[in-house]
Amino acid sequence: MAEPSVWVIIPAYNEGQVLAETLRELQEYNASYHLVVVDDGSTDNTSGIAREFAVHLLVHPMNLGQGAALATGIEYALRQKADIVVTFDADGQMRPADINPLVEAVVKDGLDVALGSRFLKSADSKMPTLKKIILRLGTIFTRLTTGLNITDTHNGLRAFKAETFAKLHITQNGMAHASEILTAIARCKLTYRELPVTIRYTEYSKRKGQGASNAINILFELFSRGGK
Amino acid sequence: MITIKLILIALLLVILRAFLVQKSLLLIKRAVAVLMFAGLLILVLFPDISTRAANIMGIGRGADLLFYLAHLFFLLVAVTLWRRTITLNDAVTRLARELAIRNAERPNEKAD
Ligand SMILES: Nc1nc2c(ncn2[C@@H]2O[C@H](COP(=O)(O)OP(=O)(O)O)[C@@H](O)[C@H]2O)c(=O)[nH]1
Ligand SMILES: [Mg+2]
Repeated sequence: MAEPSVWVIIPAYNEGQVLAETLRELQEYNASYHLVVVDDGSTDNTSGIAREFAVHLLVHPMNLGQGAALATGIEYALRQKADIVVTFDADGQMRPADINPLVEAVVKDGLDVALGSRFLKSADSKMPTLKKIILRLGTIFTRLTTGLNITDTHNGLRAFKAETFAKLHITQNGMAHASEILTAIARCKLTYRELPVTIRYTEYSKRKGQGASNAINILFELFSRGGK
Repeated sequence: MITIKLILIALLLVILRAFLVQKSLLLIKRAVAVLMFAGLLILVLFPDISTRAANIMGIGRGADLLFYLAHLFFLLVAVTLWRRTITLNDAVTRLARELAIRNAERPNEKAD
């Protein structure tokens, strides 16, 4: 069998400052990956930066949220006959070196999904304490609502078997899509495994990323759209 | 006394007309609108009716009855609009995402 094609989906919202570094790292790590940047209606030069690289560039006409950006990128990859789909943040927090183990788990072990976890490694990077607490609460919430025993419910680094993802129907536009993916994993009884990944907490990411208060928003998003 | 009634009646008619001129409006909605405006018209002309209706229902004043009804009505409107906003949002999202996919720039066909 030919090597499975790996498509890395990179949602980017106003990441002009760091996107070049992220893409460079990814290309150096594995040139055979197909990179898909989804510019989620950025008001900075995110698209311009992406054009300097050999990537597929998709541009939302307005800001729709990370979930929508991922959905767009994944839909595109599926239409391009991707075998494996990886989700990877644009903001430089993730390490490309963590991708391959996830892909291997899906390809070699035939899993539907491999999920990155920040809590499997004891040597955790400098995650802010409040964020740690909120994420712990997230795991409890997930255990109660889906029965899944997952250590890190809002980790953006994952690898999917493409055919599996096509069945999931992700509808949350915002950050709540992470919980939605887990619900889908439970509902469709997908085979999954968590693997340790390292997330870097730089000053940039802390300033720009999801603060602790946003957990409330994520919950609200989930409930206000839940009935549909 | 007479003038405020005239103003109210004129306003009612203007709003009713604005509602009815919509081309694609279900007949049932037209009928409900006409009935509602007829009711309001009667209330403007004979305000005592609301008091009598209120008393029958065990509510003190006619104004209170109208207040409750108006509240219910606006809640209904708010919920309807809210639902429609969600539908519209979904449609716009799908449209935007499809547009992004169709206009995808591939790595090999970069304009320099
Ligand atoms: N905050 C935010 N991030 C978005 C949006 N659309 C796409 N993204 C991307 O989603 C990724 C994760 O976002 P981030 O805010 O860093 O979340 P965090 O890492 O969980 O704190 C980044 O690559 C963003 O550029 C959006 O509308 N808002
Ligand atoms: Mg981040």
